[in-house]
Amino acid sequence: MSPGAEENKLSQLPPEMIEFALLKTTGALAPRLGRISLAGRKTILTPAFLGNTSRGIIPHVSQDNLRKSIALNGVYVPLEDFVEKHPQQIPPIFQYDVPEPLRKFIALPEDTLLVLGARRNPPIPSPVANTNTDVGLSTSVGFKSMSSEYYAAAVRKLQPDIVVGVADIPFGQESVGTKRKDKMSDRTELWLRDIIARKDTLDKGEKSWSIFAPILPIERDLQSWYLEHLLEDMVDKISGVAIYDTYLLDDLPDQLHHLPRLSFHAPASPHELLRQISLGMDLFTVPFLAEATDAGIVLDFTFPPPTKDESASARRILGIDMWHQDHAAAVIPLSEGCTCYACTKHHRAYLQHLLAAKEMLGWVLIQLHNHAIMAAFFDGVRASLEAATFDADVSAFEAYYEPALPEKTGQGPRIRGYQFKSEEHAKKEKKNPKAYKRFDADKILELKAAHGQQPNRKPEMRGVIDDEALLGLVGMEQPTIEADPSAQLDGLKLDDDAKA
Amino acid sequence: MAPVPMPSALSFELLGKCSVTKARAATLHLPHGPVPLPIFMPVATQASLKGLTPDQLEDQGCRLCLNNTYHLGLKPGQVTLDAIGGAHKLQSWPHNILTDSGGFQMVSLLKLAKVTEEGVRFLSPHDGSPMLLTPEHSISLQNSIGSDIMMQLDDVIATTSPDLARMKEAMERSVRWLDRCIQVHKYPERQNLFCIIQGGLDLDLRRECTAQMVARDTPGIAIGGLSGGEAKDAYCRVVDTCTGLLPEKKPRYVMGVGYPEDLVVSVALGADMFDCVWPTRTARFGNAITSAGVLNIRNAVYAEDFGSIEDGCQCTCCRPANQGGLGITRAYIYHVTAKETAGAHLLTMHNVHYQLNLMRLAREAILEDRYPQFVKDFFGKLYDWEKEKYPEWAVTALQGVGVDLLND
Repeated sequence: MSPGAEENKLSQLPPEMIEFALLKTTGALAPRLGRISLAGRKTILTPAFLGNTSRGIIPHVSQDNLRKSIALNGVYVPLEDFVEKHPQQIPPIFQYDVPEPLRKFIALPEDTLLVLGARRNPPIPSPVANTNTDVGLSTSVGFKSMSSEYYAAAVRKLQPDIVVGVADIPFGQESVGTKRKDKMSDRTELWLRDIIARKDTLDKGEKSWSIFAPILPIERDLQSWYLEHLLEDMVDKISGVAIYDTYLLDDLPDQLHHLPRLSFHAPASPHELLRQISLGMDLFTVPFLAEATDAGIVLDFTFPPPTKDESASARRILGIDMWHQDHAAAVIPLSEGCTCYACTKHHRAYLQHLLAAKEMLGWVLIQLHNHAIMAAFFDGVRASLEAATFDADVSAFEAYYEPALPEKTGQGPRIRGYQFKSEEHAKKEKKNPKAYKRFDADKILELKAAHGQQPNRKPEMRGVIDDEALLGLVGMEQPTIEADPSAQLDGLKLDDDAKA
Repeated sequence: MAPVPMPSALSFELLGKCSVTKARAATLHLPHGPVPLPIFMPVATQASLKGLTPDQLEDQGCRLCLNNTYHLGLKPGQVTLDAIGGAHKLQSWPHNILTDSGGFQMVSLLKLAKVTEEGVRFLSPHDGSPMLLTPEHSISLQNSIGSDIMMQLDDVIATTSPDLARMKEAMERSVRWLDRCIQVHKYPERQNLFCIIQGGLDLDLRRECTAQMVARDTPGIAIGGLSGGEAKDAYCRVVDTCTGLLPEKKPRYVMGVGYPEDLVVSVALGADMFDCVWPTRTARFGNAITSAGVLNIRNAVYAEDFGSIEDGCQCTCCRPANQGGLGITRAYIYHVTAKETAGAHLLTMHNVHYQLNLMRLAREAILEDRYPQFVKDFFGKLYDWEKEKYPEWAVTALQGVGVDLLND
């Protein structure tokens, strides 16, 4: 190939920086409408939410279901889900020698925006303290630390669309001293510079990425140097900011107002989400979505809310607990008027059955539905901002719905390794109660004798209670706490077992 | 004596027979659409196939799956099933459903069932109170479920039981129970009741039972009580003996089978339908079925293996992105399996597709009358053409129907 042809090919490569257009805003600390665009990816109108992934997928949603049944224009992927073997081994993903290896590896659609950060959102506090060079991570096999250099190199290799700089935040620490806060801003600046430096050394033609700078959850005075330096010599290198405390948005320097804002401040309810939007936040990951799903709670709200029925005095619930026996024969959609896969194809009765039977499909369907509710919610928010009725709509929403999501009553899916907090490892009891147990030995003997025949099973399976079949026995006995993990049945080991 | 022959809600269209083995290719027209035979039926125990949506199951080519009567009788229960209008509506499955009778679970799972002439006595898993499952109750439940194919309640005992008298009793009782089932079956015009041939490994008992069952003229016939740990050659002898006595124009279902090699051999012995939980269960433990054998993708050797689970596989998971699939790699399965439920969903899709596709390829081979070569290629690939590794039972069974695996 001639050098000319090569150059021609390079010039055809799409521009790799995201563009953010502020479409409508009324000033600082006010809601805003925006548009994030990047060649080759679907445009994201803000305010909007990103899919919050775990190990490369939205929990319970396999990649084909994501394509078919979830309208999402972007996802957030934490690096800590991919580097559990670091530093003893090079994590497999770095060996994948294709363009955009992370996207390919997790089978993310070509046109979905890919945002990479270091930690899950919300992160599990890591007992491995951050140092000047390293940040503590929580992986599925334990806590690790990762250097800022390593992170920058990983970003170069993995080629996301947007990378969020690492923030030095001592998660899980109750109070943080002033000295520590000084360090936070120093390190965060240092680590951000590492990413910028790495980007500056990219080879010609190598895929580049946009950088979001973290804004720390501390008062402006305490991160003033960092912010000053950000404005002095980094502002033209960054394309957005990641905000850990919405209520400090007031402190955000004016010169950064044109940048899109990604919230890492987990809202507990749609009301809090609205509050963040009203303060001018643009992008969210909405962790309560997946939490509601695991709890078997089907979200059931719209924005703006329906017209209030004056005769009804009580406020409406934000979600329906699908564990409730009342739904057992309800052949109606999960929420009226919802057009998601779960609502158009299935009904509450099936959902109730799936949860009661602990079938995985229950969580799949609820997750699809909850994402559809959230997508419609953000559509409504943007339409309301467009129509300049947002404040009134928020008031109506607060008057119409209860202030919090319903309490979890049923059991969720098995807790997975990276969902434990470190202090939970110290506890003796099981993270997941035993799903089923044998009848007591005497009873079995008695019945066997009365019966005189052996169960029709393979010899090696005799005496092994099998998962599939015994689901009918769930709830037969009170789960008892047994400290000895070796007594667990095959295939039911905790995911963080060394053997797993 | 046998009651009046019942109406049938199916038609069996025999399309081709292997000129060497006893293999057959057919189309079975059921109330919810036609299904190709031979067929593997995945098991959606509790009206759900292990995390897959009905659409995903359909995408893998499935048009007939199993539900378990025992499980649906417990949850959601007969009252709810009646209120909803049956299992098709419960799970929004537009295709066919086969249900077992519930008897197998009583005996095999509860380990505390007692069989009397009346039915199977067991303790309620809910509160430990004594309960009774009779042929009448089983049929009533299956009528509520609305399955396209329902199974009679049979007296299942381990084939390995040495007690011939008990075996004979069970066989004869199964025949009596079939008569009771037929009598109370409410919808023979839209649900097909299959009989189940019992008799353990005793070929004379099996012959006698086959004659008795065939006389009842059910729309289809199952061979039961197998796949319970008996020696594989004994299994093959039973299947071979029974199919030899069965009418040609009816589907033959061997219950609880199985592994790919079991399917391929059983088809050669003249069986048409199979079901087993193994492909979907093993998927949840990270095992992928391929034509070169089962791979445990949780093994670290796959952590950096960026190939698909099986090259050329057309399942949703393996098919490359440019052909509308996901292009999932072994390394990614390693990354998510047992860590995210979706990892199990991906492997479940692959395994179901493998089993269905194996039967589809077998059917093509039968229709083109090259099944013996198909069988040879299948074992060749599975054991990397190392003939000394071929299982003896398969070699023997196939020799019995004119295929010599060891001699090309």
